[in-house]
Amino acid sequence: MWFYEKKLQYPANVRGCDLGMAKYLFAQYGGPDSELSAAVRYLTQRYTMPIPQAKALLTDIGTEEMAHWEIIGTLIYKLTDGATPEQMRQAGLGDHFAQHDNALYPHDAAGVPWTAAYIQATGDPITDLHENMAAEQKARTTYEHLISLTDDDGVIATLSFLREREVVHFQRFGEALMLVREHYQHKHIFY
Amino acid sequence: MTRSESMSKGHDGMRLAEAYIPMQTFGETFDPRTALMYGTIFPELYRPYRPKHGKPHK
Amino acid sequence: MHDYASMVEMLREIQALEFAVYDLALFLDTHPCDKRALEDHTKLVHRLNQLRKVFEDRYGPLRLDSQSPYPYRYINDPWPWEIHY
Repeated sequence: MWFYEKKLQYPANVRGCDLGMAKYLFAQYGGPDSELSAAVRYLTQRYTMPIPQAKALLTDIGTEEMAHWEIIGTLIYKLTDGATPEQMRQAGLGDHFAQHDNALYPHDAAGVPWTAAYIQATGDPITDLHENMAAEQKARTTYEHLISLTDDDGVIATLSFLREREVVHFQRFGEALMLVREHYQHKHIFY
Repeated sequence: MTRSESMSKGHDGMRLAEAYIPMQTFGETFDPRTALMYGTIFPELYRPYRPKHGKPHK
Repeated sequence: MHDYASMVEMLREIQALEFAVYDLALFLDTHPCDKRALEDHTKLVHRLNQLRKVFEDRYGPLRLDSQSPYPYRYINDPWPWEIHY
C-alpha cells in the first residue's frame, strides 16, 4: 500500500502565469511518455519480475514517477492559476477550458486523452526492461524539448531535475536487465 | 579493430543481440542539497543538458 | 506561530534529505550487498527522521499516520502545490 506524504519531491516554482507553457507541459502530464505512463507501466510490470532486485526497483521507480506526476501537475496548476476563459482561449487552451475549466486532466499537449495503450506489460522481464529503458530516453528527450520552450528559471530548474532522474532511472533499469539476464543464465533459460 | 567491431566478435564476454549497461560502483556522493539541485546524489551520473542556441542538441 | 519562510526553509531541507535517501535506495535495489551505500543510507535516514519529527511538531503532520493535535491538523493549507518555495 501507499501513504501520501504532504510535500513535493522537488520545490517547483514558476515566475508567473504562462498558459502557453502550461499547454506544452501536458505532454508530461498525460502524453505517451508522461510521468503517468511511467508510473502505471512500472507498477503494472513489477508483478512478473523474477528477482527481488527488479521487484523492488520497479516498485520504487514507479512510486517516484507518481511524485513526478505531482510535480508536473503543480507546474501546470501554478502556470494557469487565475487565468480567465478568454486568456485560456487565446493560449490554445479553449478546448481544454470547455471540458475542464481550470482543472487538470490527463491529456497530452494537443488535448489527446491518456490511454493505457501507451504502455506495455508483456510478461517477459527482458522485454519489459528494454521498454522501460526506451521510455526513460523518450521522457528525457521530451524534457529537453520542454526546456527549450521556456525562459522561466523556476520551470527550467524543475524540468532539469526531472530530466536528470530519467538518466538515473535508465542506469538502474540497465542494471536490472543485467541482473535478470544473469538470473536466467544460472537457470539455463535463454531469451 | 574498432571497439564496436571487437564487441561484434563477442569479445569482452559480451554476446551478440544483447544490450549491456555497466554496473555502477559506489564512490563519492554529493551532499543532500547539491543532490536535490542536480537531480542525483551520484556525480558520475550527473549529465546536465546544455541547449545550443535554445535548440535541443542531438 | 512560526513564519512561512522558516516553514519553507525546513521543508526544503527535508526534501534534500529525503531525495538523497531515495537516490541511494534505488542504488541499493540493484546493489543490496554494498555496505558503504547502506551505511550512508542509514545515516541519512536517521537525520531525515529527526528533522521530520521537528517539522511535524512545529508545522503539522506530513502523513495521515503522524500524530495530530486537536483539531486534526493534517488537512491544513498550504498543500504542496500551493507553496511558493
